[in-house]
Amino acid sequence: MKIYAPDGAIGAPARSLAPSPEVLSGLRIGVLDNGKPNARELMLRAAEQLGSRTGAVLTLVTDKGTGHNAATACSDAVLDRLASDVDVVITGSAD
Amino acid sequence: MSFDTGLLDLADESPEGLLGFYEDNGWGDGLPLVPPTPERVDAMLAGLGRVDPDEIVATLAPRFGQATRRLVAVNAVLAGCRPEHLPVLVSAVRALGRPELNLRGVNATTHPVAPLLIVHGEVVATGAYNPGLGAFGPGNRANATTGRALRLVLLHVAGAVPGPGDASTQGGPAKYTYCVAENQTATPWESYPASIGVNTPSAVTIHCGEAPHNFHDMESDHPARILDKCASAMASLGQNNAPISQGEYFVALCPEHAATAAAHGWTRRDIASYLFESARLPARTLRAAFDHLAWEPWMHAVGDDASLPLTGSPDNIRVFVCGGAGKHSSVIPSWGMTKSVTLPVEP
Repeated sequence: MKIYAPDGAIGAPARSLAPSPEVLSGLRIGVLDNGKPNARELMLRAAEQLGSRTGAVLTLVTDKGTGHNAATACSDAVLDRLASDVDVVITGSAD
Repeated sequence: MSFDTGLLDLADESPEGLLGFYEDNGWGDGLPLVPPTPERVDAMLAGLGRVDPDEIVATLAPRFGQATRRLVAVNAVLAGCRPEHLPVLVSAVRALGRPELNLRGVNATTHPVAPLLIVHGEVVATGAYNPGLGAFGPGNRANATTGRALRLVLLHVAGAVPGPGDASTQGGPAKYTYCVAENQTATPWESYPASIGVNTPSAVTIHCGEAPHNFHDMESDHPARILDKCASAMASLGQNNAPISQGEYFVALCPEHAATAAAHGWTRRDIASYLFESARLPARTLRAAFDHLAWEPWMHAVGDDASLPLTGSPDNIRVFVCGGAGKHSSVIPSWGMTKSVTLPVEP
């Protein structure tokens, strides 16, 4: 018997994370608060620990911008700023 | 293996064979399926009339799968739909793709949210949907299979598979099938779509929320006393409406409660306004319960002694009628960061 698969084609290719830099010394760290409870505190501590161990520097802490909330996407303006102003971004705390 | 690679060979044509084949590929909802053969899918597509079966109806997150009419028909066959249900399903899929619905968030959240499909208008009768007794329950093919097919589209095309595509902590029974029909013949007002400016013979609404919360009132002859029970069910700290003021409530009134309201001259707007005023908690209580409050600016500004509504506007309280004899109604809280969508039924 011939049957159809139920999933179909994907409209936009999945994006992968940028490769991690091999050396963090001297690089700029950004923290993107994703709006989850305690996310900012957790990621700030992580950034500080990373900085003290590698020589990277925390230079930018931001939320998602307009309508900042855990359930909404980050604004393009914030993403553009992160892309231009830092070398490494820490984000993604969950519940 | 994806749709655009062509047809698949099913060696074991028994019901168990299809179920196992789908299970091995990570497809299905765990229940038995109808084989989506080309003949069945073509017959299903005939329910749409002369339209392009390969036109993309919506692109569904988080997988960003392209939901063509043919692919929706495949899932309709799997679920056991009849061809007359396909226009409803296609319209519902179109609604899922609207940005204000925030499907990516709906599927990504740990909340047990499921898209509720409400069917309105002439297609309720022509499709044999049950708007009456047991409207949310089992026993009607149209309600059961259209809701199930929508979930299969979410699983297969949107990729809302528990784990990689659906983070819901506990899941929920509404994630199997969640479709109900508006009982227009028992509604003392205009239809729900007409009340929000969608004037078409048939329509669908998608509201992304929890399962229905029952409220009963067997004895009251005034709407306020009935709606006080609804307000009590709404004023819960455990619902996302409490910290997220843009969230809607859908109030599914049974015909008898609706008739009591109408007999006193109450409109939908009166019901929404009354619930906005009565479903409240002290600002102090809400602030003590949450560190993060996604509220309207004015709600942040009031003092702790103020009594705050559980949603930011009466416009967020939506009323429709379904069910049969008896005095049980229900309220369906929102996931929060989503807005309901009502669209005409179009192929």
